Amino acid sequence: MDLRGALRRTAMTRPAVLAVTLPGATELRLEAEAEVRRRGWPVVDAPAAADLLVVCGDPASDDTPWLDGIERSMPEPALRIVAGESGQLADALDTARRDLIDKAATRRAAEVAEVAHVADVSDEPGGHEHGDHEGHGDGHDHTMGEVAGLPMAERGDDRDELRLDRLHVPIGPASSDWPAGLVLRLTLQGDVVQGVEVDHLPLPPSPRLPFWDEPWLRAAHGDEVSRGSAVRRRCAAHLDSAGRLLAVVGWDDVAARCRRLRDEVLSGASRESIGGDLRRTVRRVERSRPLRWSIAGLGELPADRARAAGVSGPALAADGDAHDRLLKWLHEVERGLEGLDDARPLAPDDRTGPRGRLDGPQPPSRALLDILPELLTGAEFACARIIVASLDPDLDELALAPVSGAAHA
Amino acid sequence: MDTWQPMLVLLGVIGAGLAALYGLGLWLAAARAPLDTGPFAGGLEPGEHAVSRFHVRWYPVTMIFLAFDMEMLFMYPWVKVVSEVGTPAVVEMFLFLGILFAAVAYAWREGALRWT
Amino acid sequence: MPDAAPLWATVVLPVALAVAAVVAAGFDAMLSGSAERGPAGSVREAGLRALAPLREALRLLVQRPRRTTAADRLLGRLGVVLVPVAAVLAGAVLPWGFRAVSDPSVGIVWFNAMEALAWAAVWLAGWGPNSALSLVGGYRFLAQGLAYELPHMFAITTAALGAESLRVGDVVAAQDGLWFVVWMPAAFVVYLLSALAMSFWGPFEHPVSRDAAGGAAAELAGVDRLVFLGGRWLLLVVTAGFSVPLFLGGGHGPLLPGWAWTLVKTVAVLALLVAGRRALPVLRMERYMEVAWMVLVPLTLLQALFVAVVVLNR
Repeated sequence: MDLRGALRRTAMTRPAVLAVTLPGATELRLEAEAEVRRRGWPVVDAPAAADLLVVCGDPASDDTPWLDGIERSMPEPALRIVAGESGQLADALDTARRDLIDKAATRRAAEVAEVAHVADVSDEPGGHEHGDHEGHGDGHDHTMGEVAGLPMAERGDDRDELRLDRLHVPIGPASSDWPAGLVLRLTLQGDVVQGVEVDHLPLPPSPRLPFWDEPWLRAAHGDEVSRGSAVRRRCAAHLDSAGRLLAVVGWDDVAARCRRLRDEVLSGASRESIGGDLRRTVRRVERSRPLRWSIAGLGELPADRARAAGVSGPALAADGDAHDRLLKWLHEVERGLEGLDDARPLAPDDRTGPRGRLDGPQPPSRALLDILPELLTGAEFACARIIVASLDPDLDELALAPVSGAAHA
Repeated sequence: MDTWQPMLVLLGVIGAGLAALYGLGLWLAAARAPLDTGPFAGGLEPGEHAVSRFHVRWYPVTMIFLAFDMEMLFMYPWVKVVSEVGTPAVVEMFLFLGILFAAVAYAWREGALRWT
Repeated sequence: MPDAAPLWATVVLPVALAVAAVVAAGFDAMLSGSAERGPAGSVREAGLRALAPLREALRLLVQRPRRTTAADRLLGRLGVVLVPVAAVLAGAVLPWGFRAVSDPSVGIVWFNAMEALAWAAVWLAGWGPNSALSLVGGYRFLAQGLAYELPHMFAITTAALGAESLRVGDVVAAQDGLWFVVWMPAAFVVYLLSALAMSFWGPFEHPVSRDAAGGAAAELAGVDRLVFLGGRWLLLVVTAGFSVPLFLGGGHGPLLPGWAWTLVKTVAVLALLVAGRRALPVLRMERYMEVAWMVLVPLTLLQALFVAVVVLNR
């Protein structure tokens, strides 16, 4: 009836989604990505642009504060949903959409509540209103006190022994195209990474096996697993990693194709139906000289250094930089194409998952995390993101450490 | 004046259009009072305010750019008189450009155009 | 000299540019949609995908305004608003057929000056929110400017040299018969690259790219975001459109009237850019800087020298 209400409701028919994945929820992430894509809802990478925060996985109590923080920094109409179980996502998204439409249409209540909240905050010493005046940083004021509850940047030496402003910025866990649960505590000077501390969200012990390693671990436990399903899982894992790296590099078109292929492989598409599409995509990446020129030389990891760090799998076999690792993934996918429908059982002593040997002293992703500081220090922020994506550690594996170790011993 | 008057009018039109857009936004917004919030860097709080002296590693490029860009200004009036002045205009301009470019090539050899 | 357009053209121009931006963004959304979800099954589906930019605009209009702690709101807002302002003011010298809103004797310098405002705009928008990632994005654009601006200026100067005038109308008139693109192909290609770079779009979208959560646009919500990212499309349309009078003969062409030729050529250039974007990853300036200075600058200089020699001998 009223134009304004109608427009507001229309605006929320396709809410923009910010998806956050918690450790152990890879399967839910894939489901959420596919479902959101099927609906054609926009996917965004910062809370400012988002309407709907989709949390994949069950948040531990430690996760609540930062998830609350993200939700609070999303402008109205905003909503958070938690996708904790697979299979319920479509309903949850439908409900969320309905709620968002309601929220957008009933504006008064939200506004009154928020005004009260803002008034609360500005009563406190050093509240937001106060901060607005000092935040402009006039050049005369060199006392590095706190402004709006946060200190100003202090200086520190850079590699050329210049004393420059340093920012301590934790990247992740809600960054897009980012390993679930990973937190990198960066020390930035400008956009140069001067220091890295690798951290991660708490990894609750989970009854679920790491999604990408599942077939091999199940076979090791004595379950009957076909070779085809293991190959499928490996191909999908590599396509997922390649899609992520290409998205970080900014080649959205091919990244989207990789992700679509990944979902088709997982949903059991036959070799004939995806073979052509897949080979075309691999050729496109292989032949792209701009891509090679753009990421060659980033995250150089020669085989001997990789082996010394305990890395196994594609990152070791690639014996080179981010571009080599990308091609390694894609070539393994292409080779795997032949075996997609192999019904023979997987040998129980085959323990080579997508990221490396699962029967080693530590899960393969542990080694990938351990070499991050060495590779990232001195890189620009953009390069650091590319290097992380080109190794693509899977933190789900960390929770599993004792199990696979015990199986081996 | 005739040529610049439309620019002023145009500026006014854009200003009005933007004001209308912001007005429309206020009319439609789900809440009118701005949301005051912290910055986003991936979900966790940053250690400091971001406004700082930003370390860029391409300082040398800015210097070369300034030198070359200033020179570019001469080229605008120059294009109008090329055939009038004749060959000397072209020779002088491209000698000048050649010298400048020699400096750029030197800076390149010294690694000024790469910083990683 | 072509006569000036009537004053009402000042109202038509921003609207026409906005329509062109929506159409171009819609085409882009259709291509992205087919990469993400496979080819559209029906015309209806394709149409729905093409409507994505309009839906996005409405969605942003409904969002609550947002600001970050201790933000520099004045400068941040100024940067946001400057993007569409620079685009439309640069568009003032864009001839529609043979008539522009205004055709000053230094039209090309005006165009260059207006688009240089984008430097300030993106950096200010990145500085404003007091957020590390948007600051990184803002500075990325400064580096980008250092790389694209000189080849760009040489490219447009070459076109001006071919006509021996800085008036856009004269440049178009000089292409009656032979388009500049035929004997200035290098300048044309470099111009297109820099058009993408200054509208920080496509392979040059590093200042607002996903890896930094949207870079300079990371903290923008609601109308601010709409104005900034919409202004980016306006910039793309204007810079792509300006390649038509500079290199593609403006309104010149057989059979059709001048305005129709302008339209056809502008659409062709935009379609080329939007479709061609799919072939390239984002170019990072730490790699591109060297190419810009050591390949594109000498290339455009040689092109300019060639044109100067031709001009001397005609």
